[in-house]
Amino acid sequence: MSDFQQVAPQEISSPRVNARTSASKKKGASPRVNLRWKQLTDKAAGVVITAGGIAIIASIILILFVIVAETLPLWYAPTAQPTPTPALENPHPLVVGVDEYQEIVYFATAAGTIEFRSLTDGHILQRFEIAGLNGQQVTSAYRDGIQHEVAIGTSGGLIIPLRLVFTPKFVDGKRAITPEVREGKPLQIDEQGRPLTSLVYSENGGVVRAAALVGPRTLLFFSQQEKTSPLGESSLEQSRTDLSPQLKSDVTALALDQFQSNLLAGTASGELYHWPVDEPEKVQLRQTFSAVSTPGTGISVLGWLIGGRSLIVGDASGGVNVWVQVRNEENSQDTPYRKAHQFRSHRTQVTAVAPSPRDKGFLTADVGGTVLVHHSTSEQTLLELSTGTNSLPLLTFAPKANGALTVDSHGQLFRWDLHNLHPEITLKTLFGKVWYEGYEKPDYTWQSSSGTDDFEPKFSLTPLTYGTMKGTFYALLLAVPLSICAAIYTSQFMHPRIRSVVKPTVEVMAALPSVVLGFFAGLWLAPRIEKIVPAVFLLVIALPLVSLIASFVWRLIPLPVRSRLRPGTELAFLAPLLLLTMYACVSLSGYIDTIFFNGSFPQWLYTTTGVQYDPRNSLVVGFAMGFAVIPIIYTIAEDAFSNVPQHLISGSLALGATRWQTAIRVVLPTASPGLFSAVMIGFGRAVGETMIVLMATGNTPVMDFSPFNGFRALSANIAVEIPEAPYGGTLYRVLFLAALQLFVLTFLVNTVAEIVRQRLRERYSKI
Amino acid sequence: MPEVEIRQVCLFYGSKQALFDIDLDIGRREVTAFIGPSGCGKSTLLRCMNRLNDLVDNVRVTGSIRLSGGEVLDPTLDVTDLRKRVGMVFQKPNPFPKTIYENVAYGPRILGIKQKARLDEIVERSLHSAAIWEEVKDRLHDNALALSGGQHQRLCIARTIAVEPEVVLMDEPCSALDPIATTKIEELIHELKQQYTIVIVTHNMQQAARVSDHTAFMYLGRLVEFGKTDKLFTTPEKQETEDYITGRFG
Repeated sequence: MSDFQQVAPQEISSPRVNARTSASKKKGASPRVNLRWKQLTDKAAGVVITAGGIAIIASIILILFVIVAETLPLWYAPTAQPTPTPALENPHPLVVGVDEYQEIVYFATAAGTIEFRSLTDGHILQRFEIAGLNGQQVTSAYRDGIQHEVAIGTSGGLIIPLRLVFTPKFVDGKRAITPEVREGKPLQIDEQGRPLTSLVYSENGGVVRAAALVGPRTLLFFSQQEKTSPLGESSLEQSRTDLSPQLKSDVTALALDQFQSNLLAGTASGELYHWPVDEPEKVQLRQTFSAVSTPGTGISVLGWLIGGRSLIVGDASGGVNVWVQVRNEENSQDTPYRKAHQFRSHRTQVTAVAPSPRDKGFLTADVGGTVLVHHSTSEQTLLELSTGTNSLPLLTFAPKANGALTVDSHGQLFRWDLHNLHPEITLKTLFGKVWYEGYEKPDYTWQSSSGTDDFEPKFSLTPLTYGTMKGTFYALLLAVPLSICAAIYTSQFMHPRIRSVVKPTVEVMAALPSVVLGFFAGLWLAPRIEKIVPAVFLLVIALPLVSLIASFVWRLIPLPVRSRLRPGTELAFLAPLLLLTMYACVSLSGYIDTIFFNGSFPQWLYTTTGVQYDPRNSLVVGFAMGFAVIPIIYTIAEDAFSNVPQHLISGSLALGATRWQTAIRVVLPTASPGLFSAVMIGFGRAVGETMIVLMATGNTPVMDFSPFNGFRALSANIAVEIPEAPYGGTLYRVLFLAALQLFVLTFLVNTVAEIVRQRLRERYSKI
Repeated sequence: MPEVEIRQVCLFYGSKQALFDIDLDIGRREVTAFIGPSGCGKSTLLRCMNRLNDLVDNVRVTGSIRLSGGEVLDPTLDVTDLRKRVGMVFQKPNPFPKTIYENVAYGPRILGIKQKARLDEIVERSLHSAAIWEEVKDRLHDNALALSGGQHQRLCIARTIAVEPEVVLMDEPCSALDPIATTKIEELIHELKQQYTIVIVTHNMQQAARVSDHTAFMYLGRLVEFGKTDKLFTTPEKQETEDYITGRFG
């Protein structure tokens, strides 16, 4: 550093030395050589400057190109590639599943076996005989579509739980997968031993809940959990409930969520019966409602999206809808199901549904041999896959959601490779209101990740854009009036000697790193402002008022006295007054708090208006970011004012106008192009500002214009989330999209600003 | 009685003296021309009359300038009031970046005139007086900057007389103009003389001879000679004056 400082003056002086030497050379050297040298340097300078300019433009275009390239895959249409599948001799599997690598397909068969077959040639890798059958017939089977778990229903009223395990081994660098079945203890669902024609089953930490049909209108609920007595002995506690009396129509589909708290049954008349089953001893029907697109048609399939919060309902007329539980605003205990999303209908009855094990997508199949690929969050039907004309009773997603597999009524297998990377992204999910799981109504939400895999990512850029705008608004609200007034004062009224000190000082403020400002605002300013909120508002009124009164008092000083005072005395007179006002306001704040706000403004605000006071709020950001923006706006505005030709000012003064009248009526309009670009450049800075909004706000992506609330800006969001975004993932690309949006936003604003500035300048160019 | 009486006026820029003991009477409704080489203090003296020198830092003026009996140099004087009485036309035409109408109405508005009818009347009268009405009457609400240089200067004159000053100071009003525009301004000065006292600084001696009734010749901050224009140009008393007007120096 010190070296640099030592070198600098020499460098500055060297051109002068050169000039002198070249001047002395000039006398000796021939003029022609001299001219050639001048032309050469001229040319070189031209080339270097042009190259520099082109390099800048090229790198900006390159950055833009990179950003666009990263966001483009978001918009790629999903594709499905049919994959050849082996012919099977066993025509009637009951459930189907695929391993993670899509090499092995497994079936539960009516013959009481689990078959593992190679997907390449169809040969049987392993056949597992279910031991617990004891001579009973398999009458039904259930798989939730996500786990490799199968529950077998038997002719004797039993449920046999099976867990399928795939163990990959690497032998000589080649992968070999060994499938294995672990059989659980059979559970007696129906004590009368009737055959189970349909069932749902869930096991979670030793708690088993299941429901099964033993006749079209005979629905049984079963629960088993381990109870530990005070003496340490554990016993199995079972309960059975017959839900049949409440049924008014034939049950055609069942669903039990993974939380083991909601049992739903769909009927042939299109109704859904909803039983909360949290307490197995007290199972009671809560709700019956029609859940089909066309009244009168029956429900044919039910299924859960991953996470078990959204219910997929397929009906006999081909309708596909997703229903979610919505909290009742009056009664938080009451959570009725509401239809949240409607998808493209099948032409015929829906026969099967399969949730994606990775995201909120799902497949539906129909009697006519068509499979549709849907995505719940974005409410779109992405693909239509056709197999022929046979009904498709079985359907599954590959565990990595990169393939779909279905079996038709003749036992023919169909398989597709799916390329469906970002199904949750549409313009609507990015910018519109979306009805997310667990929400009362469609909303704009940004919540990109969570602790669990079955979380529904919410990628709405609207609250972030709103946050950026809000932060910019509050920053400019402070910065624009202050810096423009300051610029008018310094350029038109301040003594040049003081001006030559003030202007560079304010400009130095711009050199303050924004991280320091953010740190200061978030950790020092925010807790202090929280204590003196009334004082802040008082200051907004008091400071201008005191300035006005002070200038009035100043005018009372007789002119001969005033004219003899040194320039700058008025500042020395005003500054202590302003400081005193600030001190008074801050110390009065406590009294105001006790008198008007019961001792605490944030508390008072919450109790009277319901507005939350967030310590890191827009007010703090307004101050901090305003502070960052003021030097820029000030210095450009000041230049604009100073550049108003003196002859215009003299012209106005010579007509008898006061300096104030001149400033307002002549200087201000004439400087307006510069003023406009000052504000726009300040706007651009505020929009792109990251560290201050990151540190001084709570980064909560809420859409609320309250100054007492925080927000999350686009730029801060990128900074916060990019370290957590997996490369190439949806979040990663959406963050790039946010960057692109910022780019486009500032580009548009700057372009409009430039056009307006050019127009204004044209008007004033002939001065 | 003269309109402006200048007595013993000295002017200092810091420690440098620029005007030395100027004594001058400017007659009512006459044209008085200040001539002299560059830097002789003509413009400085002119700007003393409307206190426009106040804008320059470190200027100190002593002596007395009386306008219709009132002291101009009095520090307690409201200069805005003075400047309404002493209008000024600058060397470089300086119309405001506003419409033609607003340019002329600027002064009256500053005076507090708000009624549209009144302003319309003042604008029309001033533009008539400045002999530019016919040229601009159809585009009063166009930007004044679209006019030509000569029109600019006549617009500035219109703007100046819109507040009905007693004295109009003209600081080389034609130096930026072509001969035709210059002729028009000179004709205009003849017209304006009927109503206003005019003080004009000029480098152009023919112009001074053509338009003025009295001429003051200044040199190096001093008033060398002052008298009736035809006398000064035909039979100057001082050698320096003769040298200057015959083109031997300057």
